[in-house]
Amino acid sequence: MKSESLLIRIGLALYLIMFFTYLIGPLILMSITAFNSAAFPQITPWEVLSFEWFPKLFNDDRIINGLKYSLIVGFFTVILSVSMGLAGALILTQIWPKMRATYYTIIIAPILVPGVVIGISTLVFWARINTMLGLEPDSFLANGIFLTVLGQSTFIASYCMLVFVARMQRYDTGLTEAALDLGASHVKAFRRIQLPFLMPAMASSAVLAFLASFENYNTTIFTHQKFATLTIVLSQKVRYGIDPSISALAFIIVCLTVFFALLNEVLNRRKQLAVANGAPVEAVTKGFKLPRFFSGNPAAIMFAVFVVGAIAVITFAQVYDPEPAKQVFKEDKRAKQKIAIEVMQQKALDQQREKQMKGPKIFESTDKKKSGENPGQETFGSVFKTDNLEEAAGTTNKTEAVGKNPGKSAFGSIWKSGNLDEIAPKDEKGESN
Amino acid sequence: MSSGVDVDLKNLWIKFGDFVAVRDANVHINGGDFFSFLGGSGCGKTTILRAVSGFLDPAEGEILIGGNNMVGKGPNERPTALIFQNLALFPLMTVWENITFSLEVAGATLGERRKRADELLDMIALPDQGNKLPSQLSGGQKQRVAIARALCAEPDVLLLDEPLSALDLKLRHHMRAELREIQQRVGITFIYITHDQGEALTMSDNIAVMRTAVIDQIADGKSIYDDPSTSFVASFVGTNNLFRGKVTDISEGIATIDTNRSGTLRARVSTGATGKLGVGDDAMMFIRPEAFSIVDQKTETGTQIAANVQRSEFEGTSYNVYTEGNGGKEISVSVTNRGDAHMYDSGAALNLEFDPQRAVVVPAGELASE
Amino acid sequence: MILKEYFKTNGLMMGWILLGLTFFWIVMLIVLPQLYMFELSFHPHLPPPEMGGPNDYLTLENYKYLAFGAEGNPDGYNKVDLAVFIRTLTAAAFVTVVDLLLCYPIAYYLGQSTGGGFVRLLVLLLIIPYWINEILRAFAFKIIFGDSGVLNEFLMFFAVIDGPIDFIRANVALYAGLGYAYILLMIFPMYNVIESLDRNQIEAARDMGAPWWMIHKRIVIPYAKPGISSGCTMVFMLSAGALAAPQILGGPSSLWFTQLVYQWFNTGGNWPQAAAYAIVLLVACLIIVLSVMKLFKVNMGDIGK
Repeated sequence: MKSESLLIRIGLALYLIMFFTYLIGPLILMSITAFNSAAFPQITPWEVLSFEWFPKLFNDDRIINGLKYSLIVGFFTVILSVSMGLAGALILTQIWPKMRATYYTIIIAPILVPGVVIGISTLVFWARINTMLGLEPDSFLANGIFLTVLGQSTFIASYCMLVFVARMQRYDTGLTEAALDLGASHVKAFRRIQLPFLMPAMASSAVLAFLASFENYNTTIFTHQKFATLTIVLSQKVRYGIDPSISALAFIIVCLTVFFALLNEVLNRRKQLAVANGAPVEAVTKGFKLPRFFSGNPAAIMFAVFVVGAIAVITFAQVYDPEPAKQVFKEDKRAKQKIAIEVMQQKALDQQREKQMKGPKIFESTDKKKSGENPGQETFGSVFKTDNLEEAAGTTNKTEAVGKNPGKSAFGSIWKSGNLDEIAPKDEKGESN
Repeated sequence: MSSGVDVDLKNLWIKFGDFVAVRDANVHINGGDFFSFLGGSGCGKTTILRAVSGFLDPAEGEILIGGNNMVGKGPNERPTALIFQNLALFPLMTVWENITFSLEVAGATLGERRKRADELLDMIALPDQGNKLPSQLSGGQKQRVAIARALCAEPDVLLLDEPLSALDLKLRHHMRAELREIQQRVGITFIYITHDQGEALTMSDNIAVMRTAVIDQIADGKSIYDDPSTSFVASFVGTNNLFRGKVTDISEGIATIDTNRSGTLRARVSTGATGKLGVGDDAMMFIRPEAFSIVDQKTETGTQIAANVQRSEFEGTSYNVYTEGNGGKEISVSVTNRGDAHMYDSGAALNLEFDPQRAVVVPAGELASE
Repeated sequence: MILKEYFKTNGLMMGWILLGLTFFWIVMLIVLPQLYMFELSFHPHLPPPEMGGPNDYLTLENYKYLAFGAEGNPDGYNKVDLAVFIRTLTAAAFVTVVDLLLCYPIAYYLGQSTGGGFVRLLVLLLIIPYWINEILRAFAFKIIFGDSGVLNEFLMFFAVIDGPIDFIRANVALYAGLGYAYILLMIFPMYNVIESLDRNQIEAARDMGAPWWMIHKRIVIPYAKPGISSGCTMVFMLSAGALAAPQILGGPSSLWFTQLVYQWFNTGGNWPQAAAYAIVLLVACLIIVLSVMKLFKVNMGDIGK
């Protein structure tokens, strides 16, 4: 019995570890690539610790504009969907009981409708309205921001509605009755009693709405017109060639998320502690040995560690200069490459000799390959400039092989993928030697 | 603070769809009375209260407060204040904001509100607690805040919906006295809803006992206890021994009942049942356990029952003796502990004697379920 | 009569604001756009000025195209698009089932544990990936599964494989990314329901000697059914309707049905055709979800809890 439960415990622990590796691992790996100087987001081979992708990110106009549009869209989407969600939820509590199920189905449906469908329907519908009203094709109704806000709000309002409904279920209607009984009008009772009760739901639905808007892709891709939000810009970047500045952005977003998640946790925990002790917050947090903020609050400690860590990293980034390390790395790489190339040359020579020994026919067939290698050697000195190296350093294995025999231009046409694959494993060996 | 406003319910019917929650209620409540509605769950007492406070409209009949018909007016237009079963203190407002909410609604200034809050906090003996939130108070304190909040509205009638039911026993007993005291101090009409007969008997000037949808009897506590009008009231309030039988004679307010197992017994016809019983009718006779005395002498006057002791228990102020009469009839007897009483051995044969004036006869009818 | 009551409860101004907002939402954002899109899908592809003109007519040709392909198609039916359609739905179902199997133990563990600091931390860890942008999550998987991605490098370093495996082409990256993207929507509905399950029920069953699988089969799963179906519905609909992940992680030859919609819409500029495809996707998804819900006897009201 005991050993069985131990087995279950170990199994559970393994499962948890695997599950959370799947969940968190990709984010950590992605974040790490933001600090590799390689031109392609990668961890191996690790080149040099570098912060260069962050300035590059901040100087990217498309990203900055995307962020701007995302914030604008998010702002209006929050306002529209929180108010529609609240209105929808309030009507839900007052509608004729017979109609309630139908009404609920309608306002919950946008959650289940695929985003692309909402995007298309919003666009075609408002384009039609636009022509019906006889407006210009570039009128307000056809504006990308306007359409995106409407499209997103269609389903985000449903999320908000759910948040409000969940909160209202915990509301004691006796409170409204008590207010009425004390002479308040219905409107006054709503504003003074029920609305304050709904405030937390309002805050959380606003956060939810903003985040949902910020990361929405499926609907926005159809409605954004020329106002590409950050998500759209990112998707274009990711689809057509990627560089680690996106990792840098991801790292920033991960950090912000962790920051706010921890902060939220800390505040909640603090409130809980206060309630548990049955005293106001000030009373609880007074007079502890630890700084009061941390008392019995592991999340607070993590939060503090996180903040300190962030400050340390930023300070370090200000001081740190990756150039010397890069230089060392380059020297190192150059040396390795020299060896690799020598090995290859040697091999090629051996092969040549072998083939020559075997007969002229075979020699002819490998002639092309030989000539492919030779230009590499000849142009080696002149083409081997830092720029090229850097550019080539962090790409895929295949292209890396190219990088190590630098001068893509010099023999890019000759090194076709077929040849390349043959060489790559050799190259690998050469490096591990 | 106005005081002494009468409340009258006239031919009041309340329905939910086809379901009749209150059937033809007629109640007169004197101004300044502490008046209780006593009944089991689902009898319609809370429904009456909600109709008086204006949360639901009666199907028929009138609700008069100080002579003015209130039907059709909303709860915010009536001179009533309700104390809810769960108190319904506003959780996000401080205690003093809660108390003076009615003043806030009326548009009073902050200064007026704070002043009034301090007065009321003094009255409920919670000075300096005004800035707390309701969640930081104990059960009894919340109770008092709810009372203060209701009184702050200066109602003519205060309605209380089982406000003590959430408290523990000791606090409940304490709050009974406190409520009664507050009522006497402010002098306004209190209408109190409860299923707890102890609360109703100790606090009320008058009590209305409700059976399902119907008011059976309205009287003061002593009459309810000693002179119940119906079999329901007799069996609902306190403990009672029931004897079923047929009326064989009625003279000078004393009925003779031929019971199945306990022979012929004589008892007073209840005031509320006078004129409703005739010879040959099915009747129910009720004798309180404490109305019996144990005597040695056996007589044949219809005021004695022979029984054997089954078991007895000591309860401090009294002994409870459970006996079995003729044909297995269970009869419980309470003997006051005056120092000379003692435990009876089980199996001992006793003569239980009662005064016919302390036993009542009512027409056979519905009993309160156990 | 009821409206009078309504305005009494809400006040005149607030009453109108509430009604107005709800009306705008339901009519202008939910119902009419969908209806108009539905209508549009029965029209030919015309330049905007000719819409509603003499050349406009009602037609089934957009739907016919999905079924039979262009005229003169030698196959007799639209092999490519139909294959994409079916693959999308089966793959979405596959992702849903995998997510369910993956998440149930976690949801059970978190839901039934007594909520110490460790569990709170785990919940926090669950939430964090969800707030990371969908594109970035797909990007992370591209980094992992690329030719010179972390996984290939790792496997090659330990000499498990000789050359890089093309995970993208094999759709491994896509399925992993899709499963990852919506995993939280599977966990939380289940977690919420299981959390409300009285622990004593499990204790009682255990006390009566029920083995663990029996406890799950007879007590936990029946109780968690609303949560399970809610999670499955969300994951299935979102996977089938996903666009970003297939665009970023999908192999060159394997399209997702939403990508066809996108192509018709953006590249082809053929709105009616895109609308028809979108309608087909919507209807197919709804039919599948509703019939599965019927099969497991779950109500619409349970969705979104």
